[in-house]
Amino acid sequence: MPRADTVVIGAGLAGLTCAAELAEGGASVFVAAKGMATTHWTHGGLDVAAPAGAATPRDGVRLLARAGGHPYRLLRGDVDGAVSGHLARTAGEGLAHAGSLDTPLVEVPTAIGSLRRVAIVPQAQAAVVEPWQGDGLVLVGFARYRDAWASYAARNLANADWEDGPAEISAVEVELPETGRLRNFNGLTLSRLFDDPAWRAQALAAVAAALPRGSVRVGLPAVLGLNRHAEVLADAEQIIGRRVFEVPSLPPSVPGLRLFEALRARILRAGGRIQIGFDVVDVERERSRVTAIHTEATSRTLRLAAESFVLATGGIAGAGIRVRPDGSIDERVFGLPVAAPPRDEWFSDDPLRPHPLEGAGIEVDAELRPAELENIRVIGSALAGMHYLDQRCGDGVALASAHLAARSLAGTKAAAA
Amino acid sequence: MIVHDAGARDFPPYSTDACVKCNVCTTVCPVARVTDAFPGPKYVGPQAQRFRGPSVSRTPPDRTVDLCSGCGICTRACPHGVLIAETNSRARAAIVDRRGSSIRNRIISDTDLMIRAGAPLAPLANIALRNRMARWIGEKVLGVHRRGPLATFARQTFGSWWKRSGGATTLPAAPDPSRSIVYFHGCAVNGFEPDLGRDAVEILERNGFTVIVPQQECCGLPFISNGLYAKARQKAARNLATLAEFARAGYRIVGTSTSCTHAFKAEYREMLDLGEGDAAAVADATWDICELLLDLHDRGELDTGFAPIVGPLPYHPPCQLKSHGIGTPAMDLFALVPGLRAVDSDHDCCGAAGTYGLKVERWQIAQDVGEPLFAKVRASGAARAACDSETCRWQIESSTGVPTVHPITILAESYRRADAQKTERWRRIV
Repeated sequence: MPRADTVVIGAGLAGLTCAAELAEGGASVFVAAKGMATTHWTHGGLDVAAPAGAATPRDGVRLLARAGGHPYRLLRGDVDGAVSGHLARTAGEGLAHAGSLDTPLVEVPTAIGSLRRVAIVPQAQAAVVEPWQGDGLVLVGFARYRDAWASYAARNLANADWEDGPAEISAVEVELPETGRLRNFNGLTLSRLFDDPAWRAQALAAVAAALPRGSVRVGLPAVLGLNRHAEVLADAEQIIGRRVFEVPSLPPSVPGLRLFEALRARILRAGGRIQIGFDVVDVERERSRVTAIHTEATSRTLRLAAESFVLATGGIAGAGIRVRPDGSIDERVFGLPVAAPPRDEWFSDDPLRPHPLEGAGIEVDAELRPAELENIRVIGSALAGMHYLDQRCGDGVALASAHLAARSLAGTKAAAA
Repeated sequence: MIVHDAGARDFPPYSTDACVKCNVCTTVCPVARVTDAFPGPKYVGPQAQRFRGPSVSRTPPDRTVDLCSGCGICTRACPHGVLIAETNSRARAAIVDRRGSSIRNRIISDTDLMIRAGAPLAPLANIALRNRMARWIGEKVLGVHRRGPLATFARQTFGSWWKRSGGATTLPAAPDPSRSIVYFHGCAVNGFEPDLGRDAVEILERNGFTVIVPQQECCGLPFISNGLYAKARQKAARNLATLAEFARAGYRIVGTSTSCTHAFKAEYREMLDLGEGDAAAVADATWDICELLLDLHDRGELDTGFAPIVGPLPYHPPCQLKSHGIGTPAMDLFALVPGLRAVDSDHDCCGAAGTYGLKVERWQIAQDVGEPLFAKVRASGAARAACDSETCRWQIESSTGVPTVHPITILAESYRRADAQKTERWRRIV
């Protein structure tokens, strides 16, 4: 295997973004990931920061950076560049976004009819963040599509305390045109069907026919095309004749898949390599440097040597950090020490409060280096101190840490040269 | 990883406990991409497995598992280390155990028998293979699709050519494992593509190795794919009896078929419960030929005197190769050939999946799975394509009309051109 400048371990938003930046900067980059990552589960927008009390993502970053121990205290200066870089990169791959760090955080519905606060969303969700100004909302479900129940979501939303929400909320169920593909299907199947111009014309006409009169916006399951998403979205607005937006639903998440594909395409075009199914099982070290990793293969491991390594394997949920029943916690690849509360503090009476272990992660210096290893950078949810479920900061930390790591490694390379 | 903790490599269904139902496997499944007759890896794998259990004697709950082509992409994509394809293979074998197998599946799995019957009658057999009426009858009587990609028989098997040309077949009295290679040619080279075997031998010899080709049989993979584990174990036992002797003496066993080598490295253990003894020794000694050549190159020991072969080359890394976990060594080797512009197909699966694409009830699925790849190969305008696995090569070739060769064939050609250029230079000087 040819030697790479940098091996990025992990193919989530953080890993792919760091790899893209490094490859765009001319470095040889190899992405090795144990499996597909959390992009396939997420809503496709950017959760930069939405802690309680924040009016905009920028505001949220400021609040979190002030709170002790949050990664944003190191990453603050990189958030702007990281987010604008991401928006430009994805737009270049045909995946435009709406919103910015200074867009107000507003409540939008989830597929089950709860509310989440967002500011930066894929273009396909733009119509849901704009002020409702008296418009009604119609949620559309597709018959036999098990992962998005419009009437259930509408009922929950009617009971939710939706600040500045739509004037009226209703739901319709639409029978999709038969294709022989609607027996066992999920959102991904539907998204591929929507890629077909003839089928989608019929499907969208069926949606249009089911809608009530009046000024309404239309929330559709997030299945409006996979490879030809921009075309599908344009057709949807035109045929339905109202503002439409996508509501992300259960995995596999089509908006997340689009994001993964956009970043993957970008990396490959910049000359990087991506291998999925490469689980790191061994590490070679020379004093304070890692010289190579070994990934699991049949019969013998595969050795990947590089100047530097980026650890983007995620936290506990992403399986980058492993918790054992006896209370020991370790980082899976390099065995880095994990900052975490002791085991007797892991339990609380309220299951809906942020879990103390959520903040577990790797502590790093100002250049994202862990203790004692100089050519490693730790990025994304593996970092200590973030509670991404209620701070809604996972994507912002992923992008900003990827950006800082890429800058830092490019700087090291330039200094060495 | 949970897989190692639970010993799941020895019994893949254990790994299904780690499934979090995230559906990543469904997003990458090439079969689920084209048909909803197959509900996807999650449903027939970890979901259905809860009702199977080794002690449960009930009928397996879901026969749709037989629509799994066994490509293994799901296993590689799983973020939690679930051995999905391996679990599915065992579930299929349990169904076959209980309900038996079709005559068709038993025939198309038995490549040794096919070659023994077909090779002596090669000219006649090949006429039949190319005859539309004969193929039509084959479809109606046997269930082998009339357009299923079948290679034609060689007039002389590789095995008999090797013996006639006096090649080594046994462990020498004074073993020299560092400078010798055991070549496992597999059925494809033996019965259909002996030239590829000669290319492999040529390349190995050029790089200083003595080649030994021991007595061998089919690795048994076609039986495994068709759920006929008992037959596969017979094949495995015979091969292991011969090969283990070499493996224990320190020899490397090299194959040109990513399927046979993967069977030795992984399937014998994960599917056939052969995890120890001879099987472990052979697994550890087995190399894919491109993996070996790249390893030589990494050590600075590969002859890199490659002459230019100018032009585009669409290259499809087959699913079996990807399951080796060694990346795409052929791409790194192609980069050593001046002028060669190899392009990774970046496509999941050609659809053939061994015998899957031959079956009359699967042929259309296999074509639909491979179509984006076929389109890329056609659009490349290249005179030929490359792929490491035989049934994939035959599938790509029959569906695109573009001749498709093993990467080794390209490398051997480049070496030969270099030799010819050298000879030409000398001739001019003299």
